[in-house]
Amino acid sequence: MTATPEAIAREPRWRALLLALTPDRRRVLYAFGAAILVFVVGDFLHAGFASAASVKSILVIASFVGFVAAGQTFVILVGGIDLSVPWVLNGAAILLVTSSLGRDGRAAQAVLLTLALGLATGLVNGIGIAYLAVPAVVMTLGMNGIMEGLTLGISKGLTCSSCASYAPKAVQDVVRTNLIGVPADLFLWLGVAVIITFLLSATSFGRRIYAIGNNDTAASLAGIDVRLVTVVLYMLSGLFAALGGIVLVAYGGQATLGMGDPYLFQSIAAAVIGGVSILGGRGHYLGSLAGSITLVALVSVLLAENMPDWGRSVVYGGAILVILLAYGRERRQL
Amino acid sequence: MSAVAEARPRPYRSRSRLQHFTIQSAPLLLALIILAGMAALYVGLFYNQLSRFPGNFEWTSVVNTSMPLVFAGVGQSIVVLTRGLDLSVGGMIDLTNSLTATHMHAGTGSMLAWSLIALFVGAGGGAINGVLVAYGRLQPILVTLATLSIYQGLAIKVLPEPGGAVPLEYTKILANPNGPWGLLFVAFVVGFWLLFRRTRFGVDVYAIGNDEEAARAHAVRVRTVKIGAYTLAGTFAAAGGLFLAATTTAGDATSGDVFVLTSIAAVVLGGISFFGGRGSAIGTVAGAFVLTLLINVLFFASIDPLYQSFFQGLFLVVAVLLGTLIRRLVGMRG
Repeated sequence: MTATPEAIAREPRWRALLLALTPDRRRVLYAFGAAILVFVVGDFLHAGFASAASVKSILVIASFVGFVAAGQTFVILVGGIDLSVPWVLNGAAILLVTSSLGRDGRAAQAVLLTLALGLATGLVNGIGIAYLAVPAVVMTLGMNGIMEGLTLGISKGLTCSSCASYAPKAVQDVVRTNLIGVPADLFLWLGVAVIITFLLSATSFGRRIYAIGNNDTAASLAGIDVRLVTVVLYMLSGLFAALGGIVLVAYGGQATLGMGDPYLFQSIAAAVIGGVSILGGRGHYLGSLAGSITLVALVSVLLAENMPDWGRSVVYGGAILVILLAYGRERRQL
Repeated sequence: MSAVAEARPRPYRSRSRLQHFTIQSAPLLLALIILAGMAALYVGLFYNQLSRFPGNFEWTSVVNTSMPLVFAGVGQSIVVLTRGLDLSVGGMIDLTNSLTATHMHAGTGSMLAWSLIALFVGAGGGAINGVLVAYGRLQPILVTLATLSIYQGLAIKVLPEPGGAVPLEYTKILANPNGPWGLLFVAFVVGFWLLFRRTRFGVDVYAIGNDEEAARAHAVRVRTVKIGAYTLAGTFAAAGGLFLAATTTAGDATSGDVFVLTSIAAVVLGGISFFGGRGSAIGTVAGAFVLTLLINVLFFASIDPLYQSFFQGLFLVVAVLLGTLIRRLVGMRG
């Protein structure tokens, strides 16, 4: 059947709108669609799953993944990866409580010191990868070990006298108080999302990131300092891992060993679900944000289903494979 | 440069044979030198602490502790040579370790049957990875991240709590505590590798890693070879799980997780290029022994075990930098 002009005109308007979007934007939309779908199915299985209170608590947990996924998205956009997330996050959380000793007076310095730790680990990662040509997987894997050893060694396996301190009340309040009925943490996440969206979509730095991710040789020939940008991106990844640690310890009160471990898998998965290509150059933080929500909501549904540990792990992996097969495939080769 | 000079073709062999050989084997030589250095350091520190040289017991223990990593690492090598990555080795070791510890009974029949079942499970899991990578056209790191989660889940289903037992005779065969008989298995792996890389399949693995498009143009069946590579990697990981069960004489559904990182570290220390197509699994065997010796060296150097990961991470990064430096010195690119 040939498409007459009338037939095209009769095509639904939403479909035309959808097709007018770039594939990248469509994927962000799909990721948000997936998140909503999980809430709808969850509410169908358990009445009240999509209630305001439940959605709020899921969003707060999703924000922890979302902060870490922000950094991960930056490095994945240039075709890199950051495997040092778990122990940068864990080290940051422990540094925050030990340097502040739970006192509000020391909260500001402690937060700055912790963020500086994240930036410093990212700086070392970036220099190793960009200037010394160490593969990103190896460099960040090594850094994860280095941070694990330093954290365990200096805190004596979290048995030091200051290790049991709580996060300062002021920091806890930033995450836990309600502003107009919404946890303040979500406003922080919104702020981060707005800043990153601006950075990626409206600045020359953002254009440089995509240029490097698509073709670093071409980007270099076009006058972009590829190495410098790469270092900055790994610093951002370290910064956001540290921020994740701060927020997590503020939410939970105390630091624990191994608290960063789930965030490696989840931050990568969130970016991938959000349509960020692991090869670099495609995707947006808004997708990773939706991916974080989808992932955490999915886990919450499974928890509500009383799914045992092993089943959750299997469904987790299976869900990611399904999403990858749906839109993560590479172009067919000849 | 003038057009005339450009028109003249570059001579085919611009380097001497000796130079060519050195460049080809430089990474492997470096791996063996690091192994020798680490062994010397171990003997020296041991003598310093105990005023005697490490004897039969110590060397047997080094060999037996290294065996799971030797097998997991060789499997990882094959995949890395195709320019891929297999993160699911950890889950596969968990799974086969749990299967062995829960089902295997004393008696030749049971031991043989369950060893074969474990190897088949490994081959099956590997084949799933391979099909998803080759036919699903998905990125290896994402596929194996997802299947890692799935295999870990299945392992917990098989063995929810650490326990189970492995027949004593089985330990005697795979991890005999009375002498370094494990070296026979190492000899088997080295022999396998020397044969493997001369087979059509082995050559195809290298060809794909060097240039997938060129390999395809030369009628290499890229997809079949990739599935074969991941299947072999899964089988080797399963063998690693069997050795782990034999060494620890019990099962633990999470004890394999560490091999995700250590198998990659062994490959890198073995001088296999992360960009595919270069290196030898014999280097990985050396790398696996280096990593085991490193832990002993740290112990005899009286370093707080809490700092262990710090030195492992640092060592990994330094070894890669050293490799890069030496390759530059002998004039090899990549």
